[in-house]
Amino acid sequence: MQPGHDAPGGRGAVLRVRGLSKSFPGTQALDDVGLEVYRGQIHALVGANGSGKSTFVKILAGVYHPDAGEIQVGDRVFGSGLTATGARAAGLHFVHQDLAVFPDMSVADNLAIGRGFETDRGQRIRWRAVRRRTAEVLDHFQIQARPDTPVGALRPSDRTMVAIARALQDQEGQHAGVLVLDEPTTSLPEADVRLLLDALRRYAAAGQSMLFISHHIDEVLSFAHCVSVLRDGRKVGTLDAEGLTHDRVVQLITGRTAGQLYPEIPESAGRSALLEVRNLAVGPVQDVSFDVAAGEVVGVAGLVGSGASEIVRAVFGAQTPRAGSITVDGKRLIPGRPRSAIAGGVSYVPGERSRAGFFDASVRENLSAPDVARYWRFLVMQGGRERRDARETMRRFGIRAVSEAQILTSLSGGNQQKVVLGRWLRRQPKVLLLEEPTQGVDVGARADIYQLIRQAADDGTAVLLVTVDFEEIAGICDRALVVNEGAIVAELRKPNLDDETLTGLAFSGLEKGAAR
Amino acid sequence: MSARPPDTADGGGAPTGRAPGTTAAPESRPPAPGKDSPGRGRQKPVLEFFERFGLVFLLIGEIVFFSLFAKTGKIFFTWDNFQTIAANQSVLSIAALASILPLIGGSFDLSVGAVALLADIVCAAATSRHHAPLAAAILLAIAFGAVVGLANGVVVAKAGVNALITTLGTFYVIIGVLIWYTNGNAIVTGIPNALTDINVQHWLGVPRIAVFMIIAAVVIWYLLAHTPWGRYLHAVGSNPVAARLVGVSVDRVVVISFVLSGTFAAVAGVLELAHSGSAFPNVNNASGLLLPALASAFLGATTIRPGRFNVLGTLVGVFFIAVAVQGLTLAGVSDWVQYVLYGATLVVAVAVSSVIGRQRGRV
Repeated sequence: MQPGHDAPGGRGAVLRVRGLSKSFPGTQALDDVGLEVYRGQIHALVGANGSGKSTFVKILAGVYHPDAGEIQVGDRVFGSGLTATGARAAGLHFVHQDLAVFPDMSVADNLAIGRGFETDRGQRIRWRAVRRRTAEVLDHFQIQARPDTPVGALRPSDRTMVAIARALQDQEGQHAGVLVLDEPTTSLPEADVRLLLDALRRYAAAGQSMLFISHHIDEVLSFAHCVSVLRDGRKVGTLDAEGLTHDRVVQLITGRTAGQLYPEIPESAGRSALLEVRNLAVGPVQDVSFDVAAGEVVGVAGLVGSGASEIVRAVFGAQTPRAGSITVDGKRLIPGRPRSAIAGGVSYVPGERSRAGFFDASVRENLSAPDVARYWRFLVMQGGRERRDARETMRRFGIRAVSEAQILTSLSGGNQQKVVLGRWLRRQPKVLLLEEPTQGVDVGARADIYQLIRQAADDGTAVLLVTVDFEEIAGICDRALVVNEGAIVAELRKPNLDDETLTGLAFSGLEKGAAR
Repeated sequence: MSARPPDTADGGGAPTGRAPGTTAAPESRPPAPGKDSPGRGRQKPVLEFFERFGLVFLLIGEIVFFSLFAKTGKIFFTWDNFQTIAANQSVLSIAALASILPLIGGSFDLSVGAVALLADIVCAAATSRHHAPLAAAILLAIAFGAVVGLANGVVVAKAGVNALITTLGTFYVIIGVLIWYTNGNAIVTGIPNALTDINVQHWLGVPRIAVFMIIAAVVIWYLLAHTPWGRYLHAVGSNPVAARLVGVSVDRVVVISFVLSGTFAAVAGVLELAHSGSAFPNVNNASGLLLPALASAFLGATTIRPGRFNVLGTLVGVFFIAVAVQGLTLAGVSDWVQYVLYGATLVVAVAVSSVIGRQRGRV
């Protein structure tokens, strides 16, 4: 550390990022972004989905290498050569939303795994020294826990604190580095958020610098000293948190004024509901009710962790809801049972295609996976009929493959998705549920998939779609439900449906939505 | 596997807030590189042909070699010798085919050898000690196998215990109970001739015991290839998460695979009694069947339908190992070779299968 930067409360920048740019094939994720974090400062970084926050953090962590720009940590300057170990050695300490703690192991073990155990010459662990050191760290970070307690038994905020302590223990007492907190509060209950933020404030007061990435604007405003806003990979500005309002931040994030954010909700159209969801509670979602009519494409828009995708999964039964009822065409589904949903005419295209969508088998086998029994006649599988149907489906949905016998994994992402979609669409489902329907899909196939979704709706299917790509929702949905912190906070209909409005609503807190 | 946009933690969504009409979305989701040609999986038919039939050629090569090799040729290339190999491998073939049923669904079944021994002893004891009619004894033996399979399946599917652990436990429990029941003594007398005859009699020059093996193979092939259950089982083995999401009753499919595995292992046990004419409760008799069965099953997954356990491939695997052992034995190589062969084949076969699997995953 250079002497001038060391004085508590001094204005020396601990982290200085200049002109950071990064592009991926076809997209400029970051464009000339710079920011400075000063000693003892809590610097918040906010932005919409895809604004470049995540790329920024990953460059700091050494996961991605920037195309241009430099990162100065303390007195060390890195160009594109920042590696994960280099970042750590320079004093950048990361705590991610997924804490990567070992819940079954004790606090002492969790702390020691990051830095190494105290051992004697025979490599035997000196438990007493480990325990003493753990107690010191716990005391230093004011964590209410004993060294022997399993981390899983701690309250959620303390678990996060242990992860933070683990990241910072190497620089104990010096506060020389920067603590990068990536959405640390997303999975915490309300009371724990307050406890965690109080503790972090104390660290900052003691001289710890932090870069705080969060979706929660109110949290950011009450906690951070200054706020940098990213939009479309560019920095919109860095503002003093003092005197900054919620609406102003939303406006900076979306690039629109707050007044436009809350349009009138038009009366519902006269069509009868095919899918009725009542008082659904699942994951972070509490008591959500909505309808989807035949022929309607409804989008569920929410930030990661808002509960949007849980709603769609719960309708299908891929995730078991805590409470609520799901009715399709007047018949109630058994909660948490995909078979019941399928029998009721519900189809589901899962988000993680390779994990949950298809089998390492031929196109034909993948297409007939849900209903292969209908080819079983007179104790024999009617292979000819199955192949004919598969070829017909491929033609109808524009699936490009050499033949219906081709292995699905050798197809492009777009064609794989068309197979998964075609599997369900050829059954003419009453309700079609889609999760991230165009993830990993090339441009040409995306248009085809949108066409197929619209066609299904025109044929009388009720479509419910969830994606973090709000432009997609604005593009193909008739109506969108905005989910924020587990509740539907707004409902938009065409022509008032656009991605800026969705983003704004997705960011505004519950009380904002209610006060509409 | 699937191409992911680089910015996944942020959701990979399109940057928002830009002027309407610009196509932002495609940019943040780059097309999967190199995955555009639909012909990737089918580009090299010659290579694919050798992949599919490589082991078959190796088997033919073995037979040709031992037939021409001076030390073995005279005895090896005789109808008698082929009849002997076919008869001797019938029990192993059925046990191997029994083991592929749970394997296709993604679960090991280490209990096939023990279940075969169980059926062997149940059938022998019922006829010899209790003078039960042969048909009843056989049915009883097979029922025992099915019940053990059911127990395995329920523990694996419903209680979620690892299949390897479950069936290893079952293996030892069965052996222990059999030693208790027989006091460790073999049952050698009172086995009906009607049963042991099938070992010596022929139909059209084919040993009868091999005919039973062929019938069992056809039944298993039918179950796997021509019933919805067979297709569900493949789906579960390939991707259990996706299987559940397309409405497959994953648990039920897995339980049935274990029940059938136990049933066919028991059939193998009854044929073992016919083959050897006696039943001896001994760990070696059970494990002696298990490893060759698994080796054949995995060897079979490298051929005919590479990357998948399949009936014909399993039979090719059984005879590939059997011909090697028989040839080497005739050449005067001693007994230990077969154990090396079983063990090495198992590891090599699994290694080859996983390479094939990776190649398929890579494209």
